[in-house]
Parts: sequence; structure tokens; C-alpha cells
Amino acid sequence: MVEIFTSTGLLGGPSLAPAPLEPQLESNFVSNGLLGTGPSPLGIPQDGQTSNSGEKSVGDAEMRSPLSFSNGATLQSDFVSNGLLGGPSSEMVPEDLVFRANGLLGSDNGPRDSAFASNTQPSQSQDDSFLNISDILGIRPNESSRSSRAPHTPITLPRAPVRATTFSGRTMYIKRKTRVLSAPNKTSNPSGMGKLLDVPIHRLMDEISATAASKLTRLAPIEPMKKSTLAPEDTLWVDRYRPRRFTELLGNERVARETMMWVKQWDWCVFGKKRSKKRQREDDENYNPDDEYHRPKEKLLLISGPPGLGKTTLAHVIAVQAGYEVMEINASDARSAQVVDDRIRPTLEAGSAVGSTKPVLLIIDEIDGATGGDNSSSFVQKLVSLTFDRPRNKRKARDQKEKRPLLRPIICICNDQNAHALAKLRPHARQIRCTRPADIHIVKRLREICDIEGLKADTRALSTLVGVAKGDMRGCLNTLQFIKSRNEDVTEPLIRRATVGMKEADTSITNVINELFAPLSRKRAKELGIGEEEESRYASRLSRAIEGLNNPSSISNGCFAHYANCCRHDANMSSHKKGTEWLATYDLFSSIMYSEGDFGLHSYLSYFLVPFHPLFKERGGQRIERDSTDWDNLQLTRSNDDIYKSLSNGVRTASGRSAGDYRHLITGQTLQLEFAPFINRIISPPLRPVNSQVIKPTERALLLRLVEIMVALELRFIQEKAEDGQLVYRLDPPIDVFVTYDGKRAADIAVSRYAVRHLVATEIDAALIARQADAVEKSKGSKQSDFFGKASRKLPEAAEDVADGHGGVEGDGELRRADRSEDVPANKRARPQAEKIDIADKPPVDFFGRLITVPNSGIGSKSGIGKKILKEYQVKYQFLEGNSAAVRKPVKVSTFL
Amino acid sequence: MSLWVDKFRPRTLDELHYHEGLSARLKSLAASGDFPHMLFYGPSGAGKKTRISCTLKQLFGNGVEKLKIDQRVFISPSKRKLEINIVQSNFHIEITPSEAGNYDRVVIQELLKEIAQTQQVDLNAKQRFKVVIINEADSLSRDAQAALRRTMEKYMSNMRIILCANSTSRLIAPIKSRCLLMRVAAPSPEEMQTVLEHVAKKLRFDLPPEASQQIVADSGGNMRKALLVFEALKMQSPDLSGSLKIAKPDWETYCHKVADLIVQEQTPARVMEVRSKFYELLSHCIPPTVILKTVAERVVERVDENLKADIMHWAAFYECRMRIGNKKIYHLEAWVVKVMSLYKVTKHFVYDFDMSEFE
Repeated sequence: MVEIFTSTGLLGGPSLAPAPLEPQLESNFVSNGLLGTGPSPLGIPQDGQTSNSGEKSVGDAEMRSPLSFSNGATLQSDFVSNGLLGGPSSEMVPEDLVFRANGLLGSDNGPRDSAFASNTQPSQSQDDSFLNISDILGIRPNESSRSSRAPHTPITLPRAPVRATTFSGRTMYIKRKTRVLSAPNKTSNPSGMGKLLDVPIHRLMDEISATAASKLTRLAPIEPMKKSTLAPEDTLWVDRYRPRRFTELLGNERVARETMMWVKQWDWCVFGKKRSKKRQREDDENYNPDDEYHRPKEKLLLISGPPGLGKTTLAHVIAVQAGYEVMEINASDARSAQVVDDRIRPTLEAGSAVGSTKPVLLIIDEIDGATGGDNSSSFVQKLVSLTFDRPRNKRKARDQKEKRPLLRPIICICNDQNAHALAKLRPHARQIRCTRPADIHIVKRLREICDIEGLKADTRALSTLVGVAKGDMRGCLNTLQFIKSRNEDVTEPLIRRATVGMKEADTSITNVINELFAPLSRKRAKELGIGEEEESRYASRLSRAIEGLNNPSSISNGCFAHYANCCRHDANMSSHKKGTEWLATYDLFSSIMYSEGDFGLHSYLSYFLVPFHPLFKERGGQRIERDSTDWDNLQLTRSNDDIYKSLSNGVRTASGRSAGDYRHLITGQTLQLEFAPFINRIISPPLRPVNSQVIKPTERALLLRLVEIMVALELRFIQEKAEDGQLVYRLDPPIDVFVTYDGKRAADIAVSRYAVRHLVATEIDAALIARQADAVEKSKGSKQSDFFGKASRKLPEAAEDVADGHGGVEGDGELRRADRSEDVPANKRARPQAEKIDIADKPPVDFFGRLITVPNSGIGSKSGIGKKILKEYQVKYQFLEGNSAAVRKPVKVSTFL
Repeated sequence: MSLWVDKFRPRTLDELHYHEGLSARLKSLAASGDFPHMLFYGPSGAGKKTRISCTLKQLFGNGVEKLKIDQRVFISPSKRKLEINIVQSNFHIEITPSEAGNYDRVVIQELLKEIAQTQQVDLNAKQRFKVVIINEADSLSRDAQAALRRTMEKYMSNMRIILCANSTSRLIAPIKSRCLLMRVAAPSPEEMQTVLEHVAKKLRFDLPPEASQQIVADSGGNMRKALLVFEALKMQSPDLSGSLKIAKPDWETYCHKVADLIVQEQTPARVMEVRSKFYELLSHCIPPTVILKTVAERVVERVDENLKADIMHWAAFYECRMRIGNKKIYHLEAWVVKVMSLYKVTKHFVYDFDMSEFE
């Protein structure tokens, strides 16, 4: 009799309605705040009661007749509906209702009267809504039950005020209207309460379902006959019961409203209406003040969601409601980029269809589906380009008869919002996601349809159907029609049979992996309709799930990513060992399958992953999210591979320039294993960041050598701006990643600072310029030598050198080691010397004809070799190695003396 | 200009520092005028390619050093374009068919036939045949090797083939029987030291014997690696004095870290840790077989005697699987789990054993 109803404040307005309860029962009902949806509270308390009064009420259900079905005073019918469909039954007034609000009902310190007043208003409206809800929810009570209601003696209940306690503990009473109600159930027995059931609840429910159905059969035959003659079976129910008006739309009201709002935003543009003040306030954020046509900012609307929720219907209904003529393009039409030009653009520009006065609204259905051939994205692209405004220059555009701007709304509908083909569309479209409406609404609608069609269906079966179909209204209706056509009653087992395989393919990778790693949840088991012994036979169920996904490799990746997180306390890791064994076997099979094209093996693949279930299943484990480590790793590998490729290209170029010198370094694994780590060390000597002019000779040698190597191997420092705006020098190709593991550079490689890199970079640039200049000089030189009638054979080589100087010659890098003895000198400064040596056997003279005794000691010292020549008394002269065509020629001292 | 590895690469057979017997044989073979197909095999960095180019020089003279490098495009049966880099002179051609991956057969067939069917036109050439050098012959696919068989016999008059491989085990027997096998062993430490000293002498600086010993010990018979290390060392600390720290390649250090992780702790959590390290290594394009080998060797160093054989056995076992399979990381991890459980079992066993003895 006493109900303590503690609201956590999350129950929406009407949910505060007097909780219907049986007078004799005392039940504590604590809402956890999730019972938000409007009409649901009717059902909720009954859920709470089920455990208490199940046994008793079952007895009632059996004892009592069909009368009880929509009788207000009884509990059973609600009970049958499993709380999802409250009949007009639960209007029972508690004698004493303790209503403890948590402070949301009025202010604490306010005068009591005002608090009271503020509370009376809702309570009255609650009463109103109560009636409404019962109207909405309830099936129109059929004649028989109405007639059955008559014999009951109406009872006028005394005014039982509702007592409410405010947060501060003040008690207040809310008066209630006197209501005429039917007699309360007398058979309820408080002594039966609290006991456990001796028959499992699901079995009881089955029984109820069966009895209810059988009773319906006995009752029904009068009505449906009439109706079935009225409605010929040549149309699909889906079409017959398609909503025609906005108010008839089923499902998420927010989606419908948002869509409507978007369409309404076009009103100004299409109908020339100024929007009312009220509207303007609502959609400020999408209002585009710059637009001269007053169109919304996003000119496309993209509705996405799983099939069967009524997206197409929604679009059509709203379009008609808003006063448009619908033009639909769906997957059955050819959809190429040309269609946009041929059909869509003319229609949109004309503004209305032929022979119609209404403006046109374009609906592109199934836009993510087959879009005709290989140019799937070109259609979308073209469509998006429609929405672009024409160029700013108005006059010019008009002169050239440019495209006119888009002045009519376009609604696109798709299933997969993230489909690849829609990538270009997404940024330009307002996206609305259509979600599955609450089951209760669907069940109610199905119920109505069943009533009209004269199909006997009990609510439990219908809600099962909705559960299996995952809210797919179309699927539900088709199933029901199918059942109807076989003249059967809608019972739960039948629904199970009829929906075998329905929606099974619609699982995601994460779902399957979760199923592998977690035991079957009660809910899912119920959804699948399998018992316990079936549950223990998991192999076929899981393998079917894996196969249904048709992507065993991502499942295996998921298993691999997750298995080590399970069974953390397995001492000798036996289950992990088995797990890896299975993975390895899986991999062997799949790689053999792909490499040898033996796709017969495919059907076995899923079984290799099933063992993860018995090995690693854990109850209460966290839900597994998709792991992208493997994918990330693959991406990283690819990018590193590209770096290797550019490095080896550079080396190959170098090798082309210098007689195939480096070519052995880049074959096979040498590149990754030996060359990459050591070249990194070679190019990072400990240099001090000082001006290149004042550098110490030893360091100078080091620097020169570094520059040489880097130039030869096509390695560069490139100046860049970092994110924080600082200038940095980046190695290009960035081979320093190969000594960077876990984000840390190898410890033994000195961090090269900006100044050092700057120094090196300038030196490299200088070297490159010198090389280029060399090439040019050389070509000049060869011309000169032509002029002097000397050695015309040098011409082609010189030309090649020019090409070399511009870098990146691989193909015709005719190499010159063989010609070394007769080649032209590389270094500009050494040129006069070289000419003379080349030309003459006579002792060399300088410009003035004097003999040259010690040639170029300055140049010699630059590479640090000249000094050594002086120290060691082995006289050997060596030309500086040039930048491109190295000339090294041993010359006897005697030539100079 | 160039790196030391290339700068001091011997150009003629006479300049070679070690394996004099081999050099002498090659010389006499080149002189005999009856040059056979050859297969050079030996560990990486032993000097196979150097010996091949020296032999070529002996055969054809200076002309072989006039190299041309270009790219050729082949079309695979599935209409994919394959780009192959070719190094050639007037007398020889050098290819690495493994660049084409699975389609190396196409490369072998087309290229070899093309070369084999044209005769040497240069009348001044010392030899009437051309030489084809096939690098990485051990990664040739079965099909490609089969394609080679008949070609080797049929076009003997126009062409000789020199194969270069790390091991002969993956070459089919018919190929091996058609070639003269030349084993180029890794140089001994002394030989390597002489080479290093030779380089130092050429560059006119002193190489402390300790440093050279260290380099040699670290490079494990790989001459190329030794020279790269040497140059890196010289660049990093130009005076080569004081305590030298020989740089190991980073991937190797990292592999050792992984091995230590395995030995330290055997839990599923550790498996995850090791996995992330493996991913890091793989993403640096280190071949998985090399990873497995390096890690296994390091693990073996650190475990009890009775476990060593088992660990190596399983490493071999999983490497075999890895080569057949596709997802390398699965097999790497399978091995890790295996080793961990093995290690754990023995540890427990030892523990139990000790306890019983104690009592």
C-alpha cells in the first residue's frame, strides 16, 4: 500500500505521474534515472513488481478470463506485455504515496503555498497526460473487452492526497481528483510475496504467451474476416501502412524535427516567405546572412542510418508536408556524373517539375550504394559542385551563362555515413543520423497494424520480433505479413523461426571479437533464442559469426591484439601458448590460401579463431575496442620503406656519378642492417657551431669530408619551420628515423644542433654550386680546347657533366673511371695546372712563363693532405678530388722540377 | 669522395687481401679461356661481390669498369609494372631479380634470353661471352630458378652466369650442379685487422691496435660492417684515442633489449610489452627473420645450459613458419610465448628440485 518512490530527478515530467501499483503491494522503487522516456513509467513499476507478484499474477492470468486483458484493475495484462506496453490498466490510486522529490519541486525556503501551487500544476497535467498516454499507448480496446467491463461495479475512490516531501524535508499534500475506477484486484495475496518462484520466469512467460494467443484465437474470428475482405493482399504492408503525414511518422522525433527544420530553412529562398520570428531564433547557427538567396549554410542534407528505419519515408513525408514536389533518384537509376548535368541540374534550375506548380525537392536515395560503374565518387563530386556558389564576379558569370546557383533543397540518404564515396560530400552537408526508435513505439505501431489486419499477436512476440530485427520496421512488417499469409498466430517461437538469419550479417568486427572473448550475455542469448546447452556448443555459432563478417583477417588481428590481456594469472601461460598456436595455424592457412589461390580453405579459416572463446572467455571483462596497432604499424612501415627507397635512390644516383661505387650498399638487407645505422653515425661528427672561416683545420677537414659524403649520397639539410615557428634543419631523406627507436635517438649519436646543421647546409649548397659551375666551366673549357684544336672527344662528356651537375642523372651516367688518365680536371682553380700537364711534357710554367715549383700548397692543405706531404718525405702530388668527375692522378715530382 | 668501403675496395685480384688461394684459382680460371658458370656463396661482407668484380676485370680488362646504371620496366603477367635496376658494362650485366619480388621469373626469362641471344659484337673483346651477375640468388623463387636451368645450358656459348648468394641451401640442386661453387669464407680477425691497417695507412693516420681489435671483434667477420664502423668511429672521434665505444647498429641494441625483457619476466603483460617492441623493429623495416635470430641468440646467452637447445630449436621452428606465413608478428610472438613458458617451467622445476634436495 505504501510506495516509496524516490526519483533521482532525471525522470522527465510525466514520469512523475502517480506510480500505478497494486494497493496491497508494497514495493520500493528506486529509479536510477534512466527511465526518461515519456510514457514508460506506466510500465516501469510493473517491472519492479514482477519479481514480487509473478507467481500470483500468473495464477490470475490462468484463472481469469479474457476479460482481464484490458481490464484496468488487473495486473496480468500489463505483465504479459512485459512492461513495454501499458494497457489502460494501471489507473490505481495508492492510498498513501510517499513522494520524495529531491528538491526539484520548487524552492525549499519558499512559502509552502507557492511550492504547493507549483506542484499542483504538474500533477494535474500529469493526470491529463496520464489519460493521454493511456490513449496513445493502449490498443483501442476491442468490443469484447469493453463489454466485459460492464459487469464490474465502478468504485469511487476517496480522495487520497499525494504526500510529497521537499528536499528540506517539508511535507506537502497534493490533492487528487476523485476518480471512478473499476474494482481493484482482490485476489492479490501479500503472503505470496517475497517467495522465489518455483517455475522459472521465462517458462511462465511462455505459458502466458501461449494462453494469451490461444484465447485470442478463440475470440477473434468475427473481426478479421471483415477486414481481410476489405484489404486485398496485393500490396505490401510496408506500403499500406507507410506514414502519409508528419504526425504519423514513427521514430525519433528529433530526427524528424531537425529534418523539417532544415527543409523549412529553404522557405525564404523557395517560397519567398520571410521566416517568422520564432523560427529565426531557433536556427540562427545555420542561418547564412551572406547568402543573397537566404539559403541555409549547408545546402545538402545527409540522412544516414541502418535500413528499415524509415529514412526514405521521412524524407518524402517531410517534403510533401513542406509543400514540395519530390523528385527521387535511387540506386535503380543510372547515376553517373552525367546524370547530374542531364537530369538534376535542369530540374533544379527550372525550380519545379514539368506540369507542376510546386517547387521540386530532390531526394537522392541510397547515395552510398552502387553509383554506376567505376566513377562512384564523380557523381558525388558533381553533386557537391552544384552547391558551390558561382564566382563572385556576377556580371561575368551572367554573361557567360554560367551555372545558376542551387535554389532547391537536396536530401541525400545513405546507410553508411562513413562510406568512402561520401568523403567529399560530408563536409558540405548537414548530417542527420537516424537512430533506432525505442522498441516500445515500434511495438505499439505493430500492434495497431496487427489489430487492423486482424492478426492475433501477443505483445511479447512482437517485442521479440522488434528485438531480433533491431528496430527494422520494414523487416518486422514483412515478417508479420508473411505470418499472416500463412494464417498463423504470432507467437514467440514462430517469430524465432521466421526471423532465422535476419540481421545476422549486420554485425561489426568489434561485436564479433567481443563475442569471442566474452561469454554469451543473457540478453543476447535471449535475442538469439538459444538455451544453455546450445550455448555450450559455441563452435558453430561463433564460426558462423566470423564467417558472416567475411573478414577473418581483421578478426584474427583483433584476437591477436587482445588475447594477451586475458588470463593474466595463468602461471605457465598454457592458454596463451595454445592461442598463439591457433593464430599461427590460421596464418599458415590463410597465406597458403592467398599465395596458391586455393580458396577452398576459406571455409576453414573461421574455425581457427573459435578456440579463443573457450581459452580466453571472461565474464565481466571490458568491452574490447578496435585495436589499430597493427594498422598503425603497417602505415609506419610503409612510410619508412619510402624513406629507404628515397635513400637508395640517392645512393644509386651517387653510384651512377661515381663509377658504381655505392651500388653494393643498397642490395638486399645491407641497406637496412648495416648501411642505414652507420651512415647516420658517419654524417653526424662532433662539430662545433662556429663560423666556417674560423674553424680549426682538423675540424675543417672533418667538415669537408662530411659535406663530400652528404653531397655524394644526395643527403641534404632542408630548412623548415617547426610548429612553434622555430626554424629547424631537417635531414632529407629523413634517414635519422632509422636510429630512432621508441622516439629516442641512439645515445651515441650527438644531437646535431641548428647552428651545426646550418653550417653544413651552407657548405653543401656551396659544394653543389661549385659542382654546377664545374660542369659549366668544363663545357666551356672543352669548347676552348676545341678552339685550340685539342681533343674534341671531350665534348660529349662535358655535356654529360652538365647534366650531372643538374643532379639526378641515373640513366646515362656513363662512368669515367676508365678515362681517368685523360680526363679534364674538375677543380676550377686547378685547371691551368691540369691543362699544362695534359698538354705538355715540358715543365709547367705559370701565366708569366715562370716555372712553378710548389704547386697549390694552399689547396693541398685544405684537405689536410698537403701538410702530411711535407712531413713525410714521400713526395706525391694529388689533385684535389673534384666534386663531380674526380681526377686523381699520380704525378712525379720530377714533372714539377 | 666516396665512403671508405668503396674507396678501398680492391679492383684487381692481385689487390685482394685474403683468400689468396681463391684469388689464384680465379685468376687461372679467367686465363684458361674456359670459364664456367659460377656460384659465389658465403656470409655477408666476406667479399663475394668484390671478388666477382675483380674476376671480371681479369676477364675483360678495364672495360668492365665503364658502368652504366639504368632502370628497365618489365610487365608481369598480371600487367603490373616491375622496375628493375640494371648495372651494365659492355661485357657484363648485373641484376638483382629479387627486386621484382614474386615476379622474378619474368625478369630472368626476358632479360637473360635477350642477352643470351645476342652475340658479342665487339671484336676486340677478350672473351666471346658476356657475363650475367645475379645478386641475391638465394632469394630467387622456385619458378625463376627453374627458368634459369635450361637457359644456362642452352646459351652457354654466349653467356656465363655468376650467381651470388649467402647460402646454397635455397638453391635447387640442378642449378648448383651446373655451377662451379666458390665459397668465400668470412675473413679471420687477423685478416680483417690487416685490411683495417691498410686503410689507415692509405689515409695516413695511426690506428691503435686496440681500436682495430675492437672493431674486428664487433663486426663478426663482416668486412663491410667493419669498414663502416671504422669510418663512423673516425668521424665521431677523429683522434681515435681514449676509450672507444664501438657503435652497434641500433636495431641490434634494440633486439638485445627485447631479449632481456623476455628473460626478466614471463607474464602476459610482458608479452604485450615485447610485442610493441617487435612492432617498432618491424616498422623500421628490419627483416623479421633477422629479428628472431638476433633475439634468440641473445636469449640463449642468458639462460641455463639445458634450455639453450630448446630455445634455438623453437626459433628455427617458428622462423620456418614465419617464412611460409604472412603475418610475421604472430609467429614472433608465438615464439616469445613458447620461450617464456619453457623458461618458466624450468625455473619452477629447478626451484622444486632445490627444495627437495634441501629437505
